[in-house]
Amino acid sequence: MAKGVLVDITRCVGCGSCVVACKMWNKLKHDKEAPALGKDAGLAAENWTAVSLVEITGAGDSGADKVWRFVKNQCLHCEEPACASACFSRAIVKTGAGAVVYNADLCVGCRYCMLACPFNIPKYEWDKVFPRVRKCQMCPERVQKGDLPACAGVCPADALTFGDRDDLLKQARERIAGGGYINHIYGEKEAGGTAWLYISDVPFEKLGFRTNVTTTPLPHYSESVLRLTPAVGLGWGALLTGMYVYNRRRNDVAREEAEMRISAGKGKGRKGGPRK
Amino acid sequence: MEDHLKEDQFALEKKVTRRAFMKMMGGLGLAGITMSLSGCGVSTVAGQAGGAGWLPAQYQGNAAWPAQVRGRIPIEAQNVSIVRDDEKCILCGQCLEVCKNTQTVFGHYDFSLVNEIVCINCGQCALWCPTAAITERDDTEAVLHALQDPEKYVVVQTAPATRVSLGEEFGLPPGTWVMGQQVAALKRLGFDAVFDTNFTADLTIMEEATELIKRVKGDLKLPLPQFTSCSPGWVKFCEYFYPDLFNHLSTCKSPQQMLGALVKTYYAKQKNIDPEKIFSVSIMPCTAKKFEAARPEMNSSSHYWHKTAMQDVDAVLTTRELARLLKNQGIDLNTLPEEKYDPLLGESTGGATIFAATGGVMEAAVRTAYYFITRQEPPAGLLSLQPVRGLAGVKEASVDVPGVGTVRVAVCHGMSNGRQVLEAVRKGNAPWHFVEFMSCPGGCISGGGQPRSAVPPSDEVRSMRIASLYEADARMARRESHENAEVLSLYQNFLQHPMSELAEELLHTHYVDRSKKYNHLATEKLTQAG
Amino acid sequence: MIAEQKWTFKITPVRIVLLGISALAAALMLYRLVFGLGASTNLNDQWPWGLWIGFDVLVGVALAGGGYSTALLVHVLGIKKFSPIARSAMLTSLIGYLLVMAGLFMDIGRWFNFWRPFTSWGYHSVLFEVFWCVSIYTLIQMLEFGEVATEKVQRPWHKFFKKIMPVLLIIGVLLPTLHQSSLGALYVIEVGKLYPLWWSMLLPVFFLLSSFFVGPAMVTVESLLAGRAHGHRPPTDVLQSLIKVSGYVMLVYLTLKVIDLVYRGATGLLFQGNLEGNLFLLEMVLGIIVPLVICFTPRLRSSAAGLASFGVLVVAGVVLNRMNVVFTGMSGALGGYYFPSLMEWTVSLGLVSIGVLVYLFVVENFSILPGQRADGAHGLKQDKAVKYTA
Repeated sequence: MAKGVLVDITRCVGCGSCVVACKMWNKLKHDKEAPALGKDAGLAAENWTAVSLVEITGAGDSGADKVWRFVKNQCLHCEEPACASACFSRAIVKTGAGAVVYNADLCVGCRYCMLACPFNIPKYEWDKVFPRVRKCQMCPERVQKGDLPACAGVCPADALTFGDRDDLLKQARERIAGGGYINHIYGEKEAGGTAWLYISDVPFEKLGFRTNVTTTPLPHYSESVLRLTPAVGLGWGALLTGMYVYNRRRNDVAREEAEMRISAGKGKGRKGGPRK
Repeated sequence: MEDHLKEDQFALEKKVTRRAFMKMMGGLGLAGITMSLSGCGVSTVAGQAGGAGWLPAQYQGNAAWPAQVRGRIPIEAQNVSIVRDDEKCILCGQCLEVCKNTQTVFGHYDFSLVNEIVCINCGQCALWCPTAAITERDDTEAVLHALQDPEKYVVVQTAPATRVSLGEEFGLPPGTWVMGQQVAALKRLGFDAVFDTNFTADLTIMEEATELIKRVKGDLKLPLPQFTSCSPGWVKFCEYFYPDLFNHLSTCKSPQQMLGALVKTYYAKQKNIDPEKIFSVSIMPCTAKKFEAARPEMNSSSHYWHKTAMQDVDAVLTTRELARLLKNQGIDLNTLPEEKYDPLLGESTGGATIFAATGGVMEAAVRTAYYFITRQEPPAGLLSLQPVRGLAGVKEASVDVPGVGTVRVAVCHGMSNGRQVLEAVRKGNAPWHFVEFMSCPGGCISGGGQPRSAVPPSDEVRSMRIASLYEADARMARRESHENAEVLSLYQNFLQHPMSELAEELLHTHYVDRSKKYNHLATEKLTQAG
Repeated sequence: MIAEQKWTFKITPVRIVLLGISALAAALMLYRLVFGLGASTNLNDQWPWGLWIGFDVLVGVALAGGGYSTALLVHVLGIKKFSPIARSAMLTSLIGYLLVMAGLFMDIGRWFNFWRPFTSWGYHSVLFEVFWCVSIYTLIQMLEFGEVATEKVQRPWHKFFKKIMPVLLIIGVLLPTLHQSSLGALYVIEVGKLYPLWWSMLLPVFFLLSSFFVGPAMVTVESLLAGRAHGHRPPTDVLQSLIKVSGYVMLVYLTLKVIDLVYRGATGLLFQGNLEGNLFLLEMVLGIIVPLVICFTPRLRSSAAGLASFGVLVVAGVVLNRMNVVFTGMSGALGGYYFPSLMEWTVSLGLVSIGVLVYLFVVENFSILPGQRADGAHGLKQDKAVKYTA
């Protein structure tokens, strides 16, 4: 059963435990110039998850004119990932456990996955001579052993719930039904569904989420074109062969007729001596 | 001939088979290399873990992952008092423990935020952090800058807790009395005047005891019990969680803020110094003092002079920061002689000295209140008020005051204990007239800015520092705040009398309701936590 | 008896400059391999694909498509009229593809893993198709060039190459059909990110058609330039007919574009006045509409100037189209900032310079242009010493 994580944005206090846990588990570096927590937080080669502080005006029910929300960003582990579809050497695969995992051994470094991701998640080690694509792997070694991903296991505010995706969707619906949430589970349908789901009490656009992502899985777009390849290849190949043979035959016939005309002319007698 | 041919043929066959064999081996080798290079048989996931090899399972884990990982507290990026270096955080969860259980701040609000992180700036998290990932915000640069500015008149005040703990940063045992050396060190740093926060501790007692008596008599129309208000972490806690009990808080400022206001008014006038040129620093055991000094209303001196934008205290350095500053400047406390505070704001009594211990404020207040009411010297028992001394979470005492009756007092430290008292007050079950609250367990001597002589802070260290304070009190000639001659001069020459109009303007304050700054837990959860 | 091989390479000022740029580019390419992409390019997380992909690969493959369109016309459809330009077109194409491979090798981060897709098949990726197609096609092109080369060297092999040519030619038209369209299909997955004036499910068709009609335009430009360089009169009658082929395909392209925009309701974006709208209009007007006018106006297309304008405008239009897809159309979704670094420009320019030099060398030493003998000598050589201007 595919696993996922439900992120409840109303519960995140911005402590950054998940950020530190991710860096500890994956042995990532800290960089003061590229913070992974706060207003300037962002994903980077060494920031596989980042918790951004978003100040929203005119939201929340406390009557305050400004409200703080913390949004945890990381790879959404799509059900049908665009990055895995884009990778032409199978360096990114969607595992049965639900994680979308990258293997640098097979990676050519073309960075098509970075371009394909509708959420602009994968980052790159530009400063390395042998660079790798970097993104959340959903702690596959931990999940394999039945443990939670590092971030979900450490959250002190119960903002991250790890479990089967179907269960999480059920939980999310229950929480929404209980009131105080926007009636939308981000990731339920976006990009054809993602393993990481979000619920919030503040509209998702205000939190910086891309809200115009197609609900058709992105691989379907390119695969519908690729599917035509065999037909086009065979059909066009047959047509070309046919045209070639036809035209060659036509030229051969024309040449034979021309030669016949010349030799016929020869037979009828020629001026001058034998042909040089 | 035939044999030769046959031999040739045999040789040829041998050559062919040998070559064929070599070709086959070469081909197999190539195939093998290609297959392994192309990643045949390499599992994407297993290779990343410790691997499915011969190592026992316990060694197959991630080497950088501690045995136990727990969540931590949220800290605002612009928190005035504390900062955190994520690179040092090991997710031990101690900060969460102390904030949640000892201080009852984290977890006592609903997690969906309003627009701030609920934090009382007490800095206990910094004391408990084993790697010092959480530590005070460094203000030494600002202070050094002011010291190096020839235009500035830089003054400093020192809290009582620092004189029994600064020595620990220089290798001395906890509780070593280094008052004189601290003054010498500050003078070496280049401060133009070194004052004693104990001076205004005595002043606070004058004002607060007066206020208490007025409350008891009914002159003030303010309720009992009166709460002390010198612990800024406690004050902020009250503002967050018990704003309905504001009226119980004494209107007195803390000694730090009183001295700050006086330096830029009374002292400036006496010495004919332009108050705008004064840069006022304090050395505190407390991280919340940084927050307190920056509170918008703590600018009485600017109102007094009708000038804009002048905080009474400009910078607060913790004991640890002072130690760092001294070491950076090459000043070794151990080599310094004892020196005296500067006059006007430098005299103190025993009562002021014990402010730094839990129960100390109460004892000092009781000594003076007794005197104010009876005009008699307090009995020996009040000069060693045992029931309010020690590290018990909530302490109570009853004091018989002739002409009034039994005055009941309570003392608590650590906000989990504070909550118990406050709940009782809220319910109307409070039998006390006066309650001392200190946000830090043990009182100021174990404040967020104190030396990390024990991590996590230990009662042993606390007790040693507290013992030193009471010993100093015992050997002082003047042990009651109302005996402070400089304080009496201050009243005579400047303030007139306690709670005068000028005293109200400079030495008293108001509070801010912060209960809307967070979403409250559902009531059921609250009773569970309480 | 092996005839004496004569190899020449005339040195001219222009060629010296090109050699200089090529040497510099080679050094920078080594620098990039040693120090990495971050040290040599301005690529960043917001802009993972830049000049080398946008120009060297996408534009490069499109412009090198002159080879397959010519092969289709001359060898499959048997239109002998175009045969004088066939070899030149196919040589340009071969060099173009080799340069594309060089450019790609520069761009991929883990260049030592370049062979992975041969053994680890990510067949759901459009790039997989591009990779295999381009690899095999470049091989085919090298084999096709074998027919030319064996006129001068390794002559016994010439019969073999002549025999396999038909197969090579057919595959050599089939494969580009697949990968030229696939380069467009690469951007189909950018649904929601690529600006709606360019994104379409018809992207593969658009890329295929434009790669086809840019062929004759490229050939026109090459022939006019080569003619000037060697003192030939350009075969304007051949070129005129050739560009009409382009014209008809461009008409189909334009029609499909209009239908596609209307179908997706994107026509409103045409006149927004923003960068995307304006550049799209520029691409269509200068790259399609004006050339169409030239092409179907006999007076304009019969002059060398007209032909030259057609060629240049169509090529520029296709270049602009590819750049619009990679840069303009993506800028809204990607954010951030990217402008190619000096090293990126130099390497791209250097690759083109190397290509030009190789082309010139091959033309000088083999029979490529109309009127050349097998050893590259010109039929006119015995008349006057011909001044090489390039």
